Order: sequence, then C-alpha cells, then structure tokens
Amino acid sequence: MIVVLAILGLFAFLIASIWAAATLDAVCRGWIAGGGTVSPAFTPLRTAALWLSQQRLTTEAPDRLNALLSIAGYFALGLVGLALVPIGPDTTLIALPTSVVAWGACESLVVVVVFLHGWSPNAPLALIGAYRYVAIGLPIMLLSMFVLIAAALPAQSLDLRDIVTSQSSVWNVIRQPLGLPLFILLGLSLTLRGPFDYADSADLAGGTSVEASGPDRLGWQIARLVMLTGFSAVAASVFLGGYLGPVLPGPLWLAIKTLAIMTVVIGLSHLLARMPVARMMGLIWIGLLPLSFLDLILAGVLAL
Amino acid sequence: MSWISRLAARAPVPVFIAQGESAPDALARLALNPAIHVVDSPRAACILLISGRIPSALADCLNRLHDQLPHPRATVLWQSHAMEPFSNAVEVDASDDIANALSATFADLLAGDRPSEADILPDAPPNEWRGIGPHGQGGKGMMGGTPYGRPMAKTDDDIRDGLSLDAYTADFGPFLPMFPAGLALTLTLQGDMIQAVTVAHPPFEGDTAARERLLRLLGLSALALRSLHGQKGDGTFRRLVRLSRARAAIPADLGRLPDGSDVRSRFDAMVTGLQTAPASDTDMTLGDLLVGLEWHEALLVINSLDNATLRGVCARMDAPPDSTNDATHADHDMHAEHMG
Repeated sequence: MIVVLAILGLFAFLIASIWAAATLDAVCRGWIAGGGTVSPAFTPLRTAALWLSQQRLTTEAPDRLNALLSIAGYFALGLVGLALVPIGPDTTLIALPTSVVAWGACESLVVVVVFLHGWSPNAPLALIGAYRYVAIGLPIMLLSMFVLIAAALPAQSLDLRDIVTSQSSVWNVIRQPLGLPLFILLGLSLTLRGPFDYADSADLAGGTSVEASGPDRLGWQIARLVMLTGFSAVAASVFLGGYLGPVLPGPLWLAIKTLAIMTVVIGLSHLLARMPVARMMGLIWIGLLPLSFLDLILAGVLAL
Repeated sequence: MSWISRLAARAPVPVFIAQGESAPDALARLALNPAIHVVDSPRAACILLISGRIPSALADCLNRLHDQLPHPRATVLWQSHAMEPFSNAVEVDASDDIANALSATFADLLAGDRPSEADILPDAPPNEWRGIGPHGQGGKGMMGGTPYGRPMAKTDDDIRDGLSLDAYTADFGPFLPMFPAGLALTLTLQGDMIQAVTVAHPPFEGDTAARERLLRLLGLSALALRSLHGQKGDGTFRRLVRLSRARAAIPADLGRLPDGSDVRSRFDAMVTGLQTAPASDTDMTLGDLLVGLEWHEALLVINSLDNATLRGVCARMDAPPDSTNDATHADHDMHAEHMG
C-alpha cells in the first residue's frame, strides 16, 4: 500500500514539476526577451495538445525502434534519478547502498540515449548533434564523477540516504563550495540546455530534434523535463541537504530545494552563451576538470 | 472538435518562415508576437509562411520544404507572388495584419474548416536507384554508390590531422533559419567539419537579421528576441550580453578578414549598435573563410558578415579543385538536399 502511494506521489510530483519547469522556462524567456508572455502557465499545455494532434512525420528510412527507445530511455533515466532520492530518513523508492553509483550510470546512459535520438532520424543535422553530444559527454561525466565522490566522502558512503544525513549540521554546498556550481554545469548538459546544449542547438536548427514532429517531439521535450526534475532532486539531496529542514515536512523541503535548483538551471540556460564545441572541450579539460579534482582533494583533506 | 484540438487551437501558432527577396521589414519582428511561435524546423510547424518573392531557381526547394510540414498544415503568402503549387494558400497583403491572418488560418485548420494541404511532390525518391547491392552500398565493401542520387559517404583525409574519415556532400539552405535568407551552400562535411564549400545560391540583398541570428547561434534565443525590439540605448540588453560571456564564447581570430576584423569584433560592433564599417573589400572566397572550420564556427563566421560583404564573398568562385580531388569526388556531383 505504501509502495503504491509512494509511486503515485512520485508521479504527482513529476507532473507538477514538469509543468512548473515549462512555466518557469516561458517566464524566464519572456523576461529576458523583454516582451513578457501571455499565460505562460497554460502555453505548455496548449503546445503539448498541439503536438499530440499533429502528424508523426518520419524521414526516409528512419530507425524507428531506436527513436522510441531514446525517448523512453531518457524518460526512464530521469525517473530513476528521482526514485533514488530519499524523501525521509531511510525512505526512498529505490533503496540501494550504492545509489550515487546508480545515478552516475544514469548520467552516462543519457549520452547513449541522446546519441540514439540523433542517430535514428537518418539525417545530417541530427547526426552532427548526436556526435557532438558524445564528444562533450565524456569529459563532463568525468567532472561529475569527481564531484559526486567528493560529496560522498564526508558521509563515508555511496548511499544518497547517508549523504543526506551527513549534511544535518552543514550542507555540502557550504562544505564543498566548488561542488554545486560544477554539478549544475553537468545538469545543463544532461538536460540539453543553454551553454551545454550541444545536441539540440539552434545552429543545427534543433539538432537531434530537427526531424521530430507531433507526438515524437512532445515525448522528447517531456523526457528532457523529467531529466531536469531527476537531476534537480539529486542535486538538492547531494548539496542542499535534501529533505532536511525545520518545521515543514521533509518531502516539502525536498520539493522546495528541487525547484530552487531547477530555477537556477533554467535561468542559466537562458543567460549564458554557448561556445563552439572545440573551445568547450578545452575549457572542460583545462579548466573545469582540474577544478573538480581540486574539489575532491579539498573534500578528502577535510574528511581526514 | 475534440477537447484536445480545442486546447491545441489556443497554442501559439507554430510558423516556419520561407523568406524570399524583398520580404517585408516586419517579418523579423513577427517572432516578438506572443501569439506566434517562429519555429526552427518545418517539422515543428503548422503554417508555412512564404514572405517576399521566391526566385524560380528556388521553387523546387520551396516545394520540398512544404511537404516536410506535418498535417494539418497550411501555407500563407505574405507580400509574395502567386505560385502555381500554392494556389490554395492564404494571401496576405501589405495592408493586412499578418498575425491575425496566421491565427485565423491556424484556427480554421484545427477546427477542420480548412483542409490540410496535400503534398506537392510525389512521395517518391527524386532520383532513380543507382546503387549496387541490396542496400545501395556500392558493392566495394561498404563504400561508394549513389543510391537514389545520394552519394554514400566515402572516406577522405581529414584536413586537420589526416585521419581517414567519412566525407559527405549535401546542399544546405536556402530556407535554413540559421542561414542568411536565400543562401544555399553545397557543403562537403567530415563529421561537423567543413571540408569543401560551393555557393548554390547567394543570399538575398538587404538582409538585416544577422545580429539576431548570431545571438541565437550563441544559444541566447531570448536575448535574440530582445534585440529585435531595436531600441537604441537598451542598457539591459547590453548588460545581459556582457553577462552571457558571449564575447568570450567566440574563439579569437575566427573569420579574420584582411581589414583586421574577426567574428568577435564584428559581434561587438553589432551589439553596441555601432555603425559597422562599409562592406570590406576583400578578395577572399567563402572557401577561404569556412574550410577547416567546425559547423558552429562556420555559421558564426557566415552570420558575422554584413550583407554586402557576404554577397561579395559568395560572388567570387573558389578555384576548381585539382585533378586528384576531382577523382576522389567523382561520384559526389549528385548530392542529397536538406531542408529544401
């Protein structure tokens, strides 16, 4: 019974957060564009309805199986991330003693599903987006690995439940100030946003999504927002103490912190410019990876 | 009319723009209308908006573009000329309100009052099957062959490091949203690197949307919209551009012209609203500027040039490739085409 309630709660939270993310995105866009938006809360619903009623067009000789797998896979990976997050002491939908490793696996599999999404339409712009994403995917996953191991050190555990409890006195965002900013860059990459959108970018007219129409487009956009939710919940648990907090019930604290991370990710995706892929490659290997290593060393020294 | 199409009918109208010659100035500002959503791909659109005069050389591309819109779809001609395949299209004059016309057409379409337009071209390959082997792979291992007029990718030396990778030739444009209107290029790509370029159609005269496209290419689509307001002295706009680190995102020395300017300096001039120097007199060709660049960098270079300079650069032909190159590309003279 409790399991059923928990699953229902998870989906209710997911739907609310997808809607909130889409609305926030529209508001943020409207604010920067300086023109405002008309009913940003309803526009995502209406656009979703439109995509549902449009024809599903395919290219000549598409890889339909992998197109569907990529959408379903992306959705599932975000969902797994969300299910790994503890909503109370010892309360989590997927209870694993190595949940940080499981999340790391989800991160790397995102590279696979995004590649498949670019591969399956059998079209050049989509394929360029796919390859480019893989090129950036490898170093950014390394970065995330260092940052997550650093966050696991004070807890002396790879279990997200222990990582949250280890923050009862001080949050990791204060203990490891480099961690959250670096992890948020990974979030931009996992959700194909702004400065790290190497898969679905404007220079490729939508990249891996350029050929997607109707329900396929809707599925992919929803999956992106599910991943944004999963990532934000994980980041909130690893760096902002997850469900910990006074007065309010734990799950509500988790929701508030998830929303806060989501807002930052969405804001950055509209505010920061994206550089050509070779330049980003240099920045990650020469600048960001050493920073993440420094984060790990500092965490290690503190933990000793 | 089901509840879902009633809900859909209230969505911003997804419009794909096919811009022709001397399109109305208001076209660029259409994206500012919250009731209209100008989309990047015909697959995401409901309405194909043809604006300005489409040269007859590009008519085929336009027909192909039309057929890439999913049903239900409609075409709107805005200050354009009558074209035979679009006899059923909605025509909008200079005196009419374009946003209203688009919204009305969209509403009729979703209500079923206006039938969705049929394909213009037959749903068949544009060329005969000329491949060898069951998958047209050419017969020599996995290489060669031109199934349905599309050459299979063949390995060629990467011009950066000499690694042998697949090179692929295709037409891009003339209605790609990240290209200046009218520009169509035949590109040989190795992955995302430009290996060879020829101009299939030059950009139209009088394009003024380079700044907006450059911002979109840098991933700043909301700022690009803001730039369309065109208010002189929008301090917030300049602050947001500074905050975005757009300048640092552009590689140094990219697309340097003989007059000393590069993409970064031309971008600076565009966002500060300074009058850019008159068209620089250069004998460079598009090949000189683009070959060896990655796709994103190449697009930054193209969109950093003012209309007159770009037209000048496009008008100069590249020297014909030498004979060895000719042999390598022997079956690349027929090529695939994208986005009409």
